[in-house]
Amino acid sequence: MKGLSLKVQAGELYGLVGPDGAGKTTAIRMLTGLVNPSAGEALVLGQSAQKGSRLREAIGYMPQQYSLYGDLSVHENLRFFGRLFGLSRREFGEREDRLLHITRLARFRDRRAEALSGGMYKKLALACALLHRPRVLVMDEPTNGVDPVSRRELWDLLYEFVSQGMAVLLATPYMDEASRCHKVGLLSEGRLLTEGSPSVLVASMGHRALFMEGPDRTALEQAIENRFGRESQGGARTLLAITPLGAGLRVLLAGDAVTSVVSWAEASPLVSTIRELGLDFEDVFLGLVAAPDASPDASSGVDSGSTPGAASSEDP
Amino acid sequence: MIRKEYQQTFRDRRMLFLLLVAPVVQLVVLGNSVNLEVDRVPTLIADEDRSPESLELAAALTAGDAFTHLGTLESGREVARRVGRGEAALGLVIPRGYGRATRQGRPVALQAIVDGGDSNRATVAQNALAAFVMERSTEAAMQRAQAASAQRGQAFSMPRISVEPRILYNPTLDSQIYFVPGVAATLLLIITLITTAMGLAREKETGTLEQVMVTPIRPEILILGKTLPYYLFGMVDLGLVIVAGAWIFQVPIRGSVPLLFLAGSLYMLTTLGVGLLVSALARTQQQAFFGAIFFIMPAILLSGFITPIENMPHWLQPLSGLSPVRHFVEILRAVLLKDASFGELAAPFVALAGMGLAVFAAAAHLLRRKLV
Repeated sequence: MKGLSLKVQAGELYGLVGPDGAGKTTAIRMLTGLVNPSAGEALVLGQSAQKGSRLREAIGYMPQQYSLYGDLSVHENLRFFGRLFGLSRREFGEREDRLLHITRLARFRDRRAEALSGGMYKKLALACALLHRPRVLVMDEPTNGVDPVSRRELWDLLYEFVSQGMAVLLATPYMDEASRCHKVGLLSEGRLLTEGSPSVLVASMGHRALFMEGPDRTALEQAIENRFGRESQGGARTLLAITPLGAGLRVLLAGDAVTSVVSWAEASPLVSTIRELGLDFEDVFLGLVAAPDASPDASSGVDSGSTPGAASSEDP
Repeated sequence: MIRKEYQQTFRDRRMLFLLLVAPVVQLVVLGNSVNLEVDRVPTLIADEDRSPESLELAAALTAGDAFTHLGTLESGREVARRVGRGEAALGLVIPRGYGRATRQGRPVALQAIVDGGDSNRATVAQNALAAFVMERSTEAAMQRAQAASAQRGQAFSMPRISVEPRILYNPTLDSQIYFVPGVAATLLLIITLITTAMGLAREKETGTLEQVMVTPIRPEILILGKTLPYYLFGMVDLGLVIVAGAWIFQVPIRGSVPLLFLAGSLYMLTTLGVGLLVSALARTQQQAFFGAIFFIMPAILLSGFITPIENMPHWLQPLSGLSPVRHFVEILRAVLLKDASFGELAAPFVALAGMGLAVFAAAAHLLRRKLV
């Protein structure tokens, strides 16, 4: 982690995105006080997140891997964590009923956690993390191993809590998931490359994507690589990424290179179809990894205004 | 926390069995298998003399309970071969000329063959034979002296010193009465230490500890939650083993039962403390298990429960004081058999308490630093 500083407003969903090994989990573990930074300090809500901090009463944490007692029932897991958070019997009863209701787990109250499906298990983990009504919810890859239907359900739940004023920070390697956040931060090798709202990031990139199709996809890919792979304009590479799409290729380009690529393609016997595609959030990430200097806002660490749910970690 | 440990334990039927039924089963098996009494030593005899005297010796040897006669062979070599194969614990060779030598009153040597590979068995067999032969030669010497006196017309008298032991507390020297306290202490050690050591390691392995650590739980509560349930299991086990010992092996309960449980509590302070220490250091259940064994083996071997402390090398003897098993067994035996008072047992009590507090404090400190 190097001088990571990010701000999550109350009522905001912040996605920390990056490839495996980028430091997402480490950042999250520091903010929840599970590890102490080797130097510097991790602050949440203006308080130190050191081990054993009282801050824990205000944070809910949902780890990436299985973290509940498989041999205990849904109810027993909830009761155990309720006790650890010092809830009274009455408080616990009300919250359990409510959480089981909104997660639609009430029917499975007496089922063992290990017998739940992946999606139900995650919902139970979410319920356990929300029992003490935290102001900040931190989640590490919340929809890892969850089927699409349950995934949507989990997101609906998250939006509901966020709309009630909770600040949510989640880490994910999936771009489609990141694009559902209000704000995303791109993390690579412990540094924040850029952050902003997904749509603004996409618009500010200035990339364009083309779809090309031809009789021989492999030969076409090879030809594009040979022609544009080493080309650059003003320090930025022309060709950012090629990914297969249907029977053809999705070619991500620096914005001003499109004209030359299109005229090359129209002359090439390898290309039979060409059209422009809309950009999505994944392109931002692919573009950044290919040309990190070309980020729209390379200076990380935006700090301003009141910080109901600000998290920062500094490592000089 | 405590309720959760019980729920998990009671849900796991096999674990419950291991905690409550297995100790009694083991007590019965171990209590019956340990037997240091000398009887029924399987014996082979080679009679190379074939005289009335040699036949009489062989018959006398195998008449009592001490030796079981497996057979009589021609040659000493054959006996040695069979003892070497483990067919008998003892081989006795009566050499040619034995009968003549005894008739003439000359010294004669018998050959005993034992398998040193099993030194325990060898010692038992050798001692039994030595006692038998000593008795025989004293008898022979007396007869000759008596005959000589009679020839000279004198009244015979010869000084003969013997030992009449009066054995206190365990008059029949029943080795089971000696062993049951040791077995009880060992079982308690293994059960409480391994369960605590594995408990936290399991939570680390399954990731549940992480979820627990982000709650505002205080470290003291976590430690208490991870030890108190196993302490209570240990107390139940101690009660079960004492009752089973009294019922099955007739181990008397002469002393104060509360005193036993007080000793058990102090003892478990150490065993649970070591368990915590191991679990603080281990990352996986496997590491925790081997860490626990690493402490358990020396603690048992150094306790003097299997080999007497006096028989250990001098440099090793002081280390035995570090084994909590030693002190606990000492208290168990003294209270069960002798109705010893707390005052008489102050030394082992102080040792157990000191050890327990030190280990538990160290474990708590380490856990606090490592986890919370």
